[in-house]
Amino acid sequence: MNSELKALYRDTLLEHSREPKNNRVLKNADAYFELKNPLCGDLITIYLKVSHCIVSEATFEAQCCSICTASASMLTDQITKSDIEGGIDFADSLIESLLQPGISIANLENEEIQSLAGVKSFPSRIRCATLPWEAFKGAVSRLV
Amino acid sequence: MTDLLAPPPIPAALKKARDDFPILKREVNGKPLVYLDNAASTQKPQSVIDAITQYYANENSNIHRGVHLLSTEATAAYENARTKLAAYLNANDESEIVFTRGATESINLVAHSFLEPLASAGDEILISHMEHHANIVPWQLLCERTGAVLKVAPIFDNGDLDTDTYISLMGPRTKLAAIVHVSNSIGTVNPIERIIEAAKDRSIPTLIDSAQSIQHMKLDVQELDCDFLVFSGHKMFMPTGIGGLYGKRAKLDSMRPYQGGGDMIANVSFDGTTFKAPPYRFEAGTPHIAGGIGIAAGIDYIESIGRDLICDYETQLIDYAANRLKSTAGVRLIGEPSHRAGAISFVMNSAHAHDIGTILDTEGIAVRSGHHCCEPLMKRFGISATARASIALYNNHEDIDALVESLGKVHQLFG
Ligand SMILES: Cc1ncc(COP(=O)(O)O)c(C=O)c1O
Repeated sequence: MNSELKALYRDTLLEHSREPKNNRVLKNADAYFELKNPLCGDLITIYLKVSHCIVSEATFEAQCCSICTASASMLTDQITKSDIEGGIDFADSLIESLLQPGISIANLENEEIQSLAGVKSFPSRIRCATLPWEAFKGAVSRLV
Repeated sequence: MTDLLAPPPIPAALKKARDDFPILKREVNGKPLVYLDNAASTQKPQSVIDAITQYYANENSNIHRGVHLLSTEATAAYENARTKLAAYLNANDESEIVFTRGATESINLVAHSFLEPLASAGDEILISHMEHHANIVPWQLLCERTGAVLKVAPIFDNGDLDTDTYISLMGPRTKLAAIVHVSNSIGTVNPIERIIEAAKDRSIPTLIDSAQSIQHMKLDVQELDCDFLVFSGHKMFMPTGIGGLYGKRAKLDSMRPYQGGGDMIANVSFDGTTFKAPPYRFEAGTPHIAGGIGIAAGIDYIESIGRDLICDYETQLIDYAANRLKSTAGVRLIGEPSHRAGAISFVMNSAHAHDIGTILDTEGIAVRSGHHCCEPLMKRFGISATARASIALYNNHEDIDALVESLGKVHQLFG
């Protein structure tokens, strides 16, 4: 296995994809958002429960690859107990750091999420990592 | 008993075929390219590349309009492609071959120019559950415009068409029976002879999507007796951006133009415009001339090897691939049709199709992962994506062996 592939499929990422956290439908969610990558058919739904602008619960349901699953699993971890605005800021910085070659993901204060950095050597896989975060932003936009 | 896992011998006529395709000499990620994404697009032989270069270097000009030598030569070269295609498909007449951008545009042309004027609310268009989006969406759009209804014949769990039901869905209001000849995603070969026969008994026009069969087997449109047949050049060793529609002359004669513009008119005046006879009525504007020249060269290439030989060898190779994949740990085939050509779809217990595609790519192996423009079919199998290996005449058992070996690595990584 070459070094880029090793960097893509880091242990942290594989663990999250094998045993994803919060991988379930959230009944009576305050908002949910379904997003599809039309290129490959990957489908993800993010569910949020929010009180006083703090995410009390975040879950996801997906039909997607290991990277998307792991990214979604880490997302739910990251944003639970975080305030909405902080969550959005984090999502924006993560998406930007994956899309922009010059920006390092190491600036993000979450070591597990840094394991997504490997996609930067695989342009066709970047969207796999960003899809859950885009869906999260979509869900937030639906909160009343 | 024959050994199912014995690699098929490469016939003498194909031993050197690999050398005809310059791209097959390149490396991908430091490994020799193993190209198994032929259903998406095949590679081009040097003779096709040379014909296009030669045209631009020596003959380039517009066709059907100049009296000067270059234009005359270009026109002859372009029309030569039509003649060759007509012979390749055994059409009754050259005028039955309409050049289009490819299978997709050909279907849209039939929807607009043939079916739309005939369809009214409640009329039916019959397709199957294994169609490419190109043979679904144009009909859906037509249904929106006319109130016609799309009827979808089911398939069996093994990926075979439920042909009896397909035929039983042909009713008094069926205005067209359209069917894919070979499924691009699971490789099923459909019994189009039986379907066309049944449709003719009921006076229902037929459209065959041969995008995935025309490069793998001999097609004789007079023997088939279908009304329309569509295909894309780029899936048969020819350039992108050009393909064709075969249509029975009587049908083409009855049809309204597709797009308006130059080349398709007989006379233009502000009091009214008259149109040329088929095929020109459907070919507005300057066409993809270099593409046509590429088609002619591509047909010469295929014929120099022989279609029966190609078909025979590929059948053995795809069966070998299916048998090898079936006995690979962690791999499950999607669709095990009773008659297969060209393509095999599979999934793995542990790894998603995308992950498979990425890992194979680092090994230099190109397969497609995704829904293959067949979302309804994917849903039918309860999945969102597969990995697909698809072959062409230059593939051999070593390509399949490389694939199987790399899938072992995927299995290891994802466990
Ligand atoms: C069965 C089938 N029909 C139609 C098409 C559409 O061909 P094109 O995109 O070249 O128009 C394809 C291409 O993948 C196909 O496989």
